[in-house]
Parts: sequence; structure tokens; C-alpha cells
Amino acid sequence: MPVTDPTNRADLGTIQSKLVNTSIDTLETRSAFPGKWFNHWVQCCNRLSSAGYGFNVLSAYIHFAPKIAQKFDPQVALDLANSVSKIAAKTGRIEAESLPYASYVAANLLKDQNSFKAWIRIIERFISIAPESTFTLLDKMESLLSSLSVSRLESWILAGIRSSGGNPDQRLKFFSLETPESNRWLLFESGTVNFTSMAPRLRTLIRALWNIGPPLRELPLSGTNTKNTKLRSSFGRGIIRLPTSFSGFEHEQAEDLYRACISHIGAHFHFSGPSFPVKGLKPVQIAVISILEDARVENLAMRKFPGLRNLWLPFHVAHIPNSMSSNQALMAPNLLNKLALALIDPEFNEINGWVKKAKTKFFNCEKEWEKQEISRELGGILGNDLGQMRLGWQFDMKSYIVDPPYRDDNWGLWDFGEEEKPTDILEDEQMFDSIRIEQQLDDNSDQPDQERKENDQNEELSEKPVQLEIQKSEGIPVARYPEYDYLTGRERPDWTTIIDYRPPIGSIKNVERAIEQYAEVLKRITSLIRAARVSRPNRSNRLQEGEYLDIDACIDAKINQRMNLTPDPRVYGKWIRKDRDLSVLVLLDISESTRDKVFNSKESVLDLEVHATALLAQAMSKLGDPFAIAAFCSNKRDDVRYFRIKDFNEPFDQKTFSYLGGLEGGFSTRIGAAIRHAGSQLKEQQTYRKLLLVVTDGEPSDIDATDPRYLLEDARRSVKSLSHEGINVFCVGLETKGSSYLEKIFGRRNSIVIDRIELLPQKLPLLYLRMTA
Amino acid sequence: MYLDQYLIDSEPFYRALGKEVSYFEAAYGDRLPIMLKGPTGCGKTRFIEHMAYTLNKPLITVSCHEDMTATDLVGRYLLDADGTLWHDGPLTLAVRHGGICYLDEIVEARQDTTVIIHSLTDDRRVLTLEKKNEVVKAHPDFQIVISYNPGYQSVLKDLKESTKQRFAALDFSYPDSKTEAEIVTHEAKVNEATASLLIAIAERSRNLKGHGLVEGASTRMLIHAGKLIVRGISLPEACNIALIVPITDDLELRDSLKTAIASCV
Repeated sequence: MPVTDPTNRADLGTIQSKLVNTSIDTLETRSAFPGKWFNHWVQCCNRLSSAGYGFNVLSAYIHFAPKIAQKFDPQVALDLANSVSKIAAKTGRIEAESLPYASYVAANLLKDQNSFKAWIRIIERFISIAPESTFTLLDKMESLLSSLSVSRLESWILAGIRSSGGNPDQRLKFFSLETPESNRWLLFESGTVNFTSMAPRLRTLIRALWNIGPPLRELPLSGTNTKNTKLRSSFGRGIIRLPTSFSGFEHEQAEDLYRACISHIGAHFHFSGPSFPVKGLKPVQIAVISILEDARVENLAMRKFPGLRNLWLPFHVAHIPNSMSSNQALMAPNLLNKLALALIDPEFNEINGWVKKAKTKFFNCEKEWEKQEISRELGGILGNDLGQMRLGWQFDMKSYIVDPPYRDDNWGLWDFGEEEKPTDILEDEQMFDSIRIEQQLDDNSDQPDQERKENDQNEELSEKPVQLEIQKSEGIPVARYPEYDYLTGRERPDWTTIIDYRPPIGSIKNVERAIEQYAEVLKRITSLIRAARVSRPNRSNRLQEGEYLDIDACIDAKINQRMNLTPDPRVYGKWIRKDRDLSVLVLLDISESTRDKVFNSKESVLDLEVHATALLAQAMSKLGDPFAIAAFCSNKRDDVRYFRIKDFNEPFDQKTFSYLGGLEGGFSTRIGAAIRHAGSQLKEQQTYRKLLLVVTDGEPSDIDATDPRYLLEDARRSVKSLSHEGINVFCVGLETKGSSYLEKIFGRRNSIVIDRIELLPQKLPLLYLRMTA
Repeated sequence: MYLDQYLIDSEPFYRALGKEVSYFEAAYGDRLPIMLKGPTGCGKTRFIEHMAYTLNKPLITVSCHEDMTATDLVGRYLLDADGTLWHDGPLTLAVRHGGICYLDEIVEARQDTTVIIHSLTDDRRVLTLEKKNEVVKAHPDFQIVISYNPGYQSVLKDLKESTKQRFAALDFSYPDSKTEAEIVTHEAKVNEATASLLIAIAERSRNLKGHGLVEGASTRMLIHAGKLIVRGISLPEACNIALIVPITDDLELRDSLKTAIASCV
């Protein structure tokens, strides 16, 4: 086709001479860039060419841009050139070269132009934050976009950036899908049924069915080849481990698979007894005995819960595909599947002699199913038979995977004694040991005081002050909380971990002195709190004035009138709050910034916090109001340190004084997580109102959160969610440069700022008043 | 007779858990004040109705609440065209004419209201009507019975120690499965197999007490489910309506309960 625009003919020639298989002026490009657009197209290519990014980059662009123009419109395709330039400048040629193809993929997988533009914006932001991971991200774009929408992609990307805390190597691993974390978040964002989404329901289910509450742990997907890894659930030492996800199963079926899984393991917990010793058994016998034991507990379970058959049976698949030869059909795995099916479904008729024999013998001893030994006996015999059948194969324990997929790997049934255990188990042992402590604490039901008692027994208490540099291993993980990402508008579940530490012991003098020194302030605070009326409104009748008529008083008045006596004019009533039905938890920020001096003062922020807390506590203790004290700081999201200084049911005494005296500032301020954990403590209180009083100098931060706004928005969100649950969150702020953040987090009317203790009585009423409104 | 309207005309069905019937009869012999303690929906009210019927005494029930004043229990003057008329409250009626006064959920009432029963629960057995300037001596057949649900209320809303000590108490709880099945069979008119199934289902719900549910399914809820089944609603749907939806809004909890119930069938 002749070139109609003369101005570009020379350029056209220069470019064309460099290209081998691509051309700027083809049928395709002419139709993609009609009329005036063609001019722009040529100029665009020209610019890209002279920028010096190399032939490959240009070639890639020229190849894919027209297709994008045809899918959406020419402008989008031309804008792409800018993106290519940006990426080339910020990262490199290889990345720039991969963008056009990735864009083409995106154009086909995303539903419309707006999504595509949003996608481009995400990529452009990505290349400035994580240049090292750009290539790998673009490379995986096809598979990412096949399960994620644009907003979910953004969410996943942010999860990667946030969890890597600014470390390029970590980021690269994440975006290369080499970490369990990145796979887990991918599953989460794609809405795939996975451990995290199912765990609460599974805990409830096993409790409802079997009245047990063993801890549930996640089995991470190992290695990069996640699609082919067939993982099975497992149990041992009272802990249940479930895979992150079951590959090959989706939606409702995947949910049912998890349910089937937990019901099966529950049956083991209920009906299986002490473990079988492996001594003297061949691998094939172990496998068969395990199948027998599975069948035994399942049949017993189905006596109690007939409906479980409908949950389990659909997963038994024991048919022979047409492609299999009759020899292959006799292969052990297939026979084992048939065995499993025959023992659960009496209607399954099988020709194979061995399976038939197994079925007959198993159902013949129905009356003895309660005894675990029959699995070992019968299984041992059958396994031996199977081993001796000349089927031309060797049973390979290493590659054997239990089927159907809802059944566990059965390692929990066996006692390996001194025999060598398979390597996975060895690794797991370490995890089991550290989990053993968690075992008693996690999974909801335990009271906080049990944890304290454990601490008391484990540590030798010395009276000298202990450094705050407590090893992480000395703290106990007690909870996980979500964290809010303002960029996605959603919370990421289980993102932060609260570690409960024993507070260091310090001198009681600090607190005693404060109480003495500020005696006057203490008196005023005490009477202030005493006067505060925070309770359910009650009727107060027979008043001179009020909001409603007290009928009884009115009748009395009328009666008196009729008897010609003077009626009593106090015929009104009103709603008043007479008492104080309120619990308070004081949460102290003991991060590094509390070492700073208070504005215009010689005291450090921490000193002021401790004094204020001591006075409040003394007042509340005197009045008998239930209150608790805790302190927090953080060292990244998986180590949010929480110190319980005084629990609700503990007295305010010398021990508390010494804990308060021993506090030292250090680490960072991940306020949102601490607020959520404090909220869960307060939730257990039964009072009419619950108040969380946060004493802080304001600025939320942590070393793995590089975006200054991120933790602030999360803190704000945590305050909001607690309010929704009926907990008032107020702040006593210390006057420092950071205190402007307080209003943003707590709200203007819910925070007060002081720089001297003396201001407390003056400003505290503002807070109490908010609760009585 | 004055309290005829409060007599129970047909025998209320009641299956004993233990020896509570004989205990009550013994207590009534001396008109001892009785406290019935137990969770909701396990038969306290049905029990007292049964006893009132057996002893052939009128039963006056008062459902207590926070706004209840002494006048609500004792009585008040009402105005009519010519003057005033005293109207006995439910407690006074029982005291005067010899009925059993049953104060249901007494903890809900305020403590200053509850103390008016003190003079009736010791050997004075009198009720003072201050407004009327009358002291009513209790009829020989009068007895006071209260019901009490421990565990729901906060520390502030509890009976005073001085009140508690005036009563003898009987403990109520969910019956054993066989008895409960009989009760459900009788009350809901379902067959025994369905009743046993409902009891098995209730156990799943009761396992979750403290793990998501405040209380598991009560006997009353099982009867509701049974009645729905008799009317043609399928068992899973009836259980959903009567046992799951009323007690929890948590979707995940509902989901797990549904699965657990399906396993029982």
C-alpha cells in the first residue's frame, strides 16, 4: 500500500531497513491505526527507536501494539510505548522487552479498557518499587491473570511488597512464587478454597461432631512445583495438619474435601488407640493395615453419624480407565483403592479375589470393630498376601500417596520406635515441639491466666531488673490479627502475630514516688471518676421535674386531691445513669520514641505515661472499678510484643508497681495490632461499657512498613472495628512532635493531649463525658 | 373460688429428671419457698405447672423485668368515676387467696423490687400493703416459687445473698437422651426415631457451648423442630429454622452446624 503521508517517508525507510520480520506499515497496522492515527503510530515507533533501547524492545512493541490497538483503541496502544520507555529506563531492556507481550496477554484476559489501564498503572508503580522483580512478574502474568482480577492482582502484589519489608531478595522470591507465603496469598486472593478460609469452619465442625478441639496447623506447599505436589493431611501428638489447598479441587467440592478430611481425622481421634509398632512389618503391610484402620474407624463413625457416608463416598474413585491394560489394573495402588472402596461401600462388588477376601473378612468381624487389633491382624495377613502376589512390581513407600484424598497419611497411627523415620517427619518434630506450648494456648478456649501460670513455672524469677532485650523465643505467640491495607481497602487475614512477653521487673519506687508526688492530682482524678456516671439508664421517679410522667405518683396525687389533701407535686421521672458499670484497659506505648523528652520538660515520654497510668490505676483501684494494664511495642509484623502488666482479676499491688517501674522504651509502634489484641481482652468483660485507653505519643511505625500512611490507616481501622463491637477507644496523648497523628487515628473528640501530669484532671473529664452521652 | 381462673385444667406433660417431684411435694408440705435453677428451655416452667396441677392449687405467674416496680407485684389504686379502687397485684392475690406465686426470671427485676418478698419468705408470712395500710397474712396454701438462670447475668444483676438464703433450690438441666426423646416424642408428636435423631443433633449443637454458641439447642427448640417436621418440613430445613438460625448469625458457624447436622442423618 502506498505511503500517503510524505513527511515520514524517510523515517519509515530507516526503520524498515532495520526490521527483519516486522514492519511498521502492514495491513494489520493500517487497520489498527486508521487515518491520522497512522501518523502518530509512525512517530511513536520513531521515538522508541531513537531512544536506543535496542532492537528487541522495538520489535516486541511493534509486534504487539497493533493487536492491542485492535482490541481496545489506538491511544491505548500508543500510550503503551510510554510505559515501555519508563520500564526500560527504570529497570532494563529485558524487562522492557517483556512488557508488550504481557500487555497483550492482559488485554485478552481483562474484561475492558478501564481494567487494562488500571493494570498498566499497577505495573508502572511496581517497576519503581520493585525493579528487581519486574521481569518475573511480567513473565508470570498469564497464569496470574487467569485466576486474579486486576484489583486482586494489586492486592497480591501489595502483600508481596509489604511482607518483604523493603528487601529486594525477599521480594524476588515472593514474586517468583518460591515462598509458601506467596502461594498462600495467591490462593487467598484468587478465592481458592484454602486452609485459611476453611480453618474456622473446620474447628467448629470437629468440635460439633467429636467434642474435641485439637490445634489445626497448615501444611505449606513445598517447592516450586506446587501443582504436582499431592499433599495429604496428617495428625500426630494431638495436632492436626491440613494442606494449604488441595490441588485439582475447586469451590464446593474443595470445601467438602476439607470437611471430609477433618471428619475422618476426628474419627481417628475418637476410635483409634495407641499407635501400632512398625517392627517386623513390610511397607506393603503398613499400607494395608492403615487402610484397614481407616475403614474401621470410618465404619464406626458412620454408625454414629450415618450422613458421613455421603461426605466420604464421593471421593472414592476406584475405576479402571479404558487405557489401562489388565496387568496394570492389578497394580497395587489400584488394588488398594478398590480395597478402600470395598470396605466402605457394601454395594461395591469386586471380582478380584484378594479384595473379595478382604471385604468378606472385614464385614464378618463387624462385632469386633471396636477393637483396634483387628486392623493389624487382618491388615497384616492381607498385606502379606499382596506382597506375595507376583504382580511384577515393588511397593514403593516413598512414592505412595494415600487415596482417597480426604484421608490422612496415617503417620499418626504408627510408632516407628528406633527405626528410621521418613525425613519429613524428622523436620516436623521440631515444629511439633515448639508448637506444643502453643497447643495449650491457641484455638480459643483457654483463659489468659493459664498462660501466666506456665510462665511462672518455666522461669526462675530473679528480683533484679531484666533487660528488655528478651529473646523472641521467650515470648509465646498467642494470637494472629488481620491488618488493613488502605490501598486495597481490605484487611489481610492473619497478617500480624502477637507475642505475649513476661514484663520485666523493675523498681517500685518510680510508681510509689509518683503517687506521693501527685497526691493532689490523684485526689481530683478519683473524685472525677467516682462522679462519672457510665451505666445503663435507670428510672428515677417522684421528681419535681423530668422527662416523663410517673403514673403512680400522678395517681397518688389525684387520690389526695379527691380526699381533699394536698397533692405531692413530684409527679415526674427521668432516665438517669446512677452507677458506673465500666471496665477500662490502659494500653501503654513503650516504643523507642518514648525515650524522647516530652516537649518543654525534663521527663521522658515513658515516664509521663507510667505516672499517668499509675494515678489512673490507683484511682480506679480505690473505687473498685475493674481495670487492666498492658504495654506494647513491635519488631515487625510477626513480633508484636504485648506485656500484660495487670489483668482484670488481679489486684493493683506491689507486683504491678514493679512491672510498671521496669518498663523501658524500645522497638517500634505497630499500634493497630496492639489495639486489636487489647480489644479481645476487653471483649470478655461483662460490663455495660468497655473502654480502651491508649497512652501513646502518636506515630505508628514499624521497620517493615515503608509506607508511612499504611500503619496509620490500619490503626484508624482498628479503632473503628472496636467501636463497632461496642468498645470505646480513647487516647491520652503525650505532647511531642508526633501528636498530630492522634486525631487522625482516634478522632478529635476521643483524644486528649497532655504534657504534664497536672493537666490530667482537667482533660480527663472530656473523655468520660463522651461515654455518658 | 376467687383464683379459679388460675387453676390448671389439664395435666401438663412432665417427665421427671430425678426426684424433683417428691422434693417439691415435701417442700410444699411446709410451704417452703422454692427456687428453680437451670438454663433456659429445660422445663422449669413446665415443672411448676405440673406441680400446681398435681397439688390442685392455682398458679399465678409473673414474668419479671427490669422496669417492674413493687406496685406491679403488690397492687395499686386505680381511679374510677367516683373515687379510687384498690387493685391487688398478682403477688397479693396469691397471698390473700392461697395460690402459688411463680416469679419467672427473677434476676431481671431490680433488687429493690425483689426485697418485698422477704417478709413472705420467712416465718412471718405477711405482706404489708403500705398504701392501703393493711397487713395481709398469707393464706395457708400460699407458696412462692422463683426461677433463676445462673450464668447469663453480669455481677451487678444477681440476687442478693439475703434473698438467696431464704429459698431451697432444685437444679434443672437437660434430661438424659432417652428421657429427652420421650419428651420430644410426646410434645411434638413425632415418632421415636425422629425424636432420637433430634436428640443426637442437639448434642452436636451443645458441644459448641462456649465455642461459638452461648448455649446449645434447648429441649424447647427440639420440640419446635419436631412440630415443623410433623407439618411436612424436611428434617434439615426444620433443624435450620428451629436450631441454627435463631441462635447465631455467624455464617461460618451456621455452615459448620449444617454440615454436622447433615452427618447425623
